[in-house]
Amino acid sequence: MRPGRALWDRLALAVAALALWQLASLAFGPHWFSPPLATGRRFVELFWNGELLRHAQYTLLAAAGGFLLGGVPGALIPFALRRAPRLGAVLDPYLVAGYGMPKLALAPLFILWFGIELASKVVLVASIVFFLVFFSTAAGVRGVDLRLVAMARVAGASERAVARHVVWPGAVPYIFAGLRISLPYAIGAAVVGEMISANRGLGYLIQAASQDFDTTNVFVGLLALTVLIVAVNVIVEAAERWLLRWRPVDVTPVRRLASAT
Amino acid sequence: MIIAGRALLGVVVLALWQAAHLALGAAWIASPIDILGRLAEITASGELLRHTQATLTESAFGFLLGGGAGILLPFGLRLSPRLTAALDPFFAAATGVPKLALAPLLILWFGIGIVSKVAFVAAVVFFFLFFSTLAGVRSIEPQLAAAVRVLGAREWTVTWEIAWHTALPYIFAGLKVALPRAISAAVVGEFIAADRGLGYYINNARAMADTVGLFTGVVLVTLLVLAIDAGLERLQARSLAWRPLARDVGV
Amino acid sequence: MSAAAPPVLEVQRLGKRFEARAGRAEAFWAIRDLSFVVGEGELLTIVGPSGSGKSTLLNLISQIDGPTEGEIRFREQAIAGPTSGALRPGWDRQFGYVTQEDTLLPWRTLGENVLFPLRVQGGLSAETRQRAARLIQAAGLEGFERYYPHELSGGMRKRGALIRTLVYDPPVILMDEPFGALDAQTRTQLQADLLRLWNLGRKTIVFVTHDIAEAIALGDRTLVFTRAPARVQSEHRIPIPRPRDVRNIYVADGFAEMYERIRKELE
Repeated sequence: MRPGRALWDRLALAVAALALWQLASLAFGPHWFSPPLATGRRFVELFWNGELLRHAQYTLLAAAGGFLLGGVPGALIPFALRRAPRLGAVLDPYLVAGYGMPKLALAPLFILWFGIELASKVVLVASIVFFLVFFSTAAGVRGVDLRLVAMARVAGASERAVARHVVWPGAVPYIFAGLRISLPYAIGAAVVGEMISANRGLGYLIQAASQDFDTTNVFVGLLALTVLIVAVNVIVEAAERWLLRWRPVDVTPVRRLASAT
Repeated sequence: MIIAGRALLGVVVLALWQAAHLALGAAWIASPIDILGRLAEITASGELLRHTQATLTESAFGFLLGGGAGILLPFGLRLSPRLTAALDPFFAAATGVPKLALAPLLILWFGIGIVSKVAFVAAVVFFFLFFSTLAGVRSIEPQLAAAVRVLGAREWTVTWEIAWHTALPYIFAGLKVALPRAISAAVVGEFIAADRGLGYYINNARAMADTVGLFTGVVLVTLLVLAIDAGLERLQARSLAWRPLARDVGV
Repeated sequence: MSAAAPPVLEVQRLGKRFEARAGRAEAFWAIRDLSFVVGEGELLTIVGPSGSGKSTLLNLISQIDGPTEGEIRFREQAIAGPTSGALRPGWDRQFGYVTQEDTLLPWRTLGENVLFPLRVQGGLSAETRQRAARLIQAAGLEGFERYYPHELSGGMRKRGALIRTLVYDPPVILMDEPFGALDAQTRTQLQADLLRLWNLGRKTIVFVTHDIAEAIALGDRTLVFTRAPARVQSEHRIPIPRPRDVRNIYVADGFAEMYERIRKELE
């Protein structure tokens, strides 16, 4: 399949999508489908008066905070558990249950405990990111080639050295995979938290617009969210490529399959 | 020894829970005993049934709707590889956007009744099943399809026999992920706007400072999801008996 | 082979060119100016260096792929080339195709796999079921009908693939290094089985291999192919009389000489 042809196909599809959008707003009315032009205009308006940026900032902050709060322990604990396998075995069913449990259902609980400000969203995001990063990293730590570890020990390496030079590099791709997988979930959780209870953030913007029956703002909010996520993805992909430029293997298929939320 | 450790941990957690309740107060942490009491109460009053029914109905219909579309669409797309290739970056963009963010839009369109939640669940489930099934359909080995054509099979047979069976493990992987997500999507939808359902119960309890109610609802949702997870595990093992080793496709 | 009887298969100046695409820098010709005939009831072996030409040829004959130039005639009718129509894989079940890879349907039992072509062609009856049962017995697979492919050994799966092809009785069977993935003992056994089954029906077989000994042991005639772009380098009639003892083929009269001759050509 020649690349040029696919590009034209996609342009055609994009144009067709826009046309359908316009058609839908004409057929069903602006209450159901805010017309593309009006949406675009409102988007630019809210962008220039800083409102979009303000909300996006809040959402990003919640996502980033939770990402760090959940991601760091999630990445480090598997290494610690590696040295205490019995403890790991004891904890296993609880961790699996924690992973299987829908953390978003806990949102009201976090709001009760941490209030309607940023903190509750951060905790919500952290609770989701932790489990994703934990299990991904644990898979990496577990999957470390035991022969390499044995070889290192034979060569006289201490436990610390083994951890640093064999286990860590082996697990790093899995850590990154976990972080990448949890990124869309992090933003998604922040947005949902805002929808339930907040006074700022893109989720709040969308929810408030919905309650005001302002379809245009709902569309603008969703559009802004999409742009935000695409932008974050681009940056993270670039960062990862730079950080892991020594690696030949591509992890993208894993991400795409896993992040269908 | 490990099982003893797990049981011990469970007891310790419960004890800590009770201790926290006593230390921090009933407003922050409901005691396990109170939760059990509330469970009995709402079971007797029929409230439990009413809310659970609502949530399950929304989940089930949304799951069938979104799942059906998500499973069937890739088979249709298979007929036009050009369209599939062209849509590729749009898929990537669509995965990134949290479908949960659509909730307010759907509530705007369909109101706070059951329909908006069904639509919401359908949207969430659709994407899970669509991408899983698509991966399965893409994994068809061309030489298997070619061999079957040489044997005289028509396109329809190739689709049914090969595409369906090849995609089936992937579809199961998608179902396993999507079913609990369906429940959680219904609950989240109810958080945002509803007049019944377990999510409504939880959020309402929070608004009324009814900590025991909040905890009870959360416990219920958790048990529901974990039960469904276990049930699916068993179902998959039976249907994919022809597979050699690992039952799960590593999604 | 009687000189008067028309060939069942005719390949005339066949050529196949693969375009450049991702992973392949330039276009290249897998086959060019390839011509040969196959007589009715003949077991023709094709030997050549491991490469794409031989498999491509079988893909073209079986109608899985279309040629860039040249023509293929089956029983005097053009089935591929400038005058023929669209591709018809298997050409209405006139061709059987056994490949090196395992193409048994993994989600069906052995019995279901063997019956599959009949079911698909709408020909399942008590009589055809009996034929399938007899083939299963002849292949030594009796009792394994309810097993899934992954529960069977490589050799058994290969036999299953073979009788799946025989069950709908195609006049021409194409085989692409079918025994390549098996260990030496199993391979010899399957070669003997193939000759035995071929004897029962006297079908036309075109058998591709990179193993010179196999080509000589099985074939009435052997074609030696060049590297890509492949064409017929030479043709040898195998003088070893039938029935042949595949296990002891190395000591058969004329084997060593033929082997040496072909080996030199392939150098």
